Amino acid sequence: MVNLCSLTAEQVVEGVKNNHFSAVEYISQILERIEKIESQINAFTIVDANGALKKALSIDKKIRDGEDEKKIGSLAGVAVGIKDNICTKGLKTTCASKILEDYVSPYDATVVKKLKESGAIIVGKLNLDEFAMGSTTEFSRYGATHNPWNINYVAGGSSGGSAASVAALECTVSIGSDTGGSVRCPASFCSVVGLKPTYGRVSRFGLISYANSLEQIGPMGKTVADTVMVMNSIAGMDDNDQTTLNNGAPKYTTQSKRNIRIGLVKELVEGIEPEVSKCIYSAMDVFSKSDCKCEETSMKSVEFALASYYTIAMAEASSNLARYDNIRYGFESNPDSYEWNAYFAKIRSNFGEEVKRRIITGTYVLSSEYYGKYYLKAQKVRTMLKQELSALYKIYDILIAPTMPVLPFKFGEKIDDPLKMYMIDIDTVVANLTGIPAISVPAGFSKGLPIGLQIMADELQEQTLFETASLFESTANVQRSPKL
Amino acid sequence: MISNDEIKHLGWLSRLELTDEEIVRYALQIEEVIKYLNKLDSISLSEVEPVRLKKKISELRKDDVKPFEGDVLEVAKNRKNGYVKGPRMV
Repeated sequence: MVNLCSLTAEQVVEGVKNNHFSAVEYISQILERIEKIESQINAFTIVDANGALKKALSIDKKIRDGEDEKKIGSLAGVAVGIKDNICTKGLKTTCASKILEDYVSPYDATVVKKLKESGAIIVGKLNLDEFAMGSTTEFSRYGATHNPWNINYVAGGSSGGSAASVAALECTVSIGSDTGGSVRCPASFCSVVGLKPTYGRVSRFGLISYANSLEQIGPMGKTVADTVMVMNSIAGMDDNDQTTLNNGAPKYTTQSKRNIRIGLVKELVEGIEPEVSKCIYSAMDVFSKSDCKCEETSMKSVEFALASYYTIAMAEASSNLARYDNIRYGFESNPDSYEWNAYFAKIRSNFGEEVKRRIITGTYVLSSEYYGKYYLKAQKVRTMLKQELSALYKIYDILIAPTMPVLPFKFGEKIDDPLKMYMIDIDTVVANLTGIPAISVPAGFSKGLPIGLQIMADELQEQTLFETASLFESTANVQRSPKL
Repeated sequence: MISNDEIKHLGWLSRLELTDEEIVRYALQIEEVIKYLNKLDSISLSEVEPVRLKKKISELRKDDVKPFEGDVLEVAKNRKNGYVKGPRMV
């Protein structure tokens, strides 16, 4: 029998709708696959086998009953995993934290609601760094996710489970969230495609906030076409998220375009690991050979991007996470013998190492004597980056860079040195600070470890992004799933 | 230089009870991070406006009350007579 786990979302929908196989057969294979390799990967925090099978049965029934194509949905049967910081009604949403270990969401996030309406099947919740703060998933309360290409290496983060589950064929597509690269970093480390959409293109309603002026929910898949399919389901304005954009979301396609004007941002390649740099320059050759006009370009204010990013992310984290008081939701802990403030301080000491570090640093940069020195300046750097980008997008359709300046590394290599860990986000934060869309596409390997190419377009130009990514994907033809 | 006392105070402001060992470690690590963030100090930005959200207040939807289908109280661990129970204020 065909291995249904290795199909793309497009092939699953086509197969299920045309009765080549049933949704139940496919989901059963996915669940068997999870059973078989999850102990090596640790991509999931929760697997909802019963829920997934029930949904598969209902989809098969709809197809047997000859229901309208629209009611069956554009993602009919597709197994999707959801990052465990996005609310799913009736399932736990733990943020990989002790603080939310028992939290069962009473509602669906808008993206989850839309995916369900499109016929997608939620197979479980995916591992992450606690509250999405980290670049390796080593900060998860449930243990780190392992890289399917070499299980002694990190899968990237914070959406490590979302990337690893797709690469390891434990689900067909997945949803992550990207605050400073959290979709693109693990996509790069696991050789899958990962998109951070334009800020406001996808609703954040039901995404548990970490740094809400920076983050977006984004899809991950084995191919560009799969991320396009998911985007067509989840993009658009939402009354429940006032930062979503009014412009109607277009129907995105994957036709690949030639004659694209491409600029390689040299500041984002300087000083990176030589293997990665080599791979990115060969990606540039791939474009040149496909009739694109490629050249190196410069973006000077990149130098201040990371300092700006961490100032804002930590400041917003410090205020967003103030809500965790263990009263309206939380874990078992009797408040009876405590005074108000002492109880909160006691409860909140259960945040993990990195979350506490960010809250304290955030509180520092927001304190009145330092506000002008850090936060205000960081917000001004965002304007500066935006101005520089808008000039560049008059000359280029697309900017490219590595997604990560390093290859995936071994567990424990950076975990004791926070600044060293933060530095690897250098190439991804520009898109979050400025709101532009960016995608990571598999670009090659070095020593058996994946390298991702980052493609960035101007605000709301996701279509150009997809066309460029499709062109690269079809020309470069990089392997997507390891043998496991 | 960030002192241990400063970390302890920041911990209190953030309502985080920290162990002595955490205070010492965070003081060293956060010091390093802040040194890096000081990069922002080296640029002149007096002419630049801070970034703002694009949407105008007038574009926001009306704040209508809608019923919520889920049971939000169900997730509270400590309840009494239909109320959520917290620690004492004084």
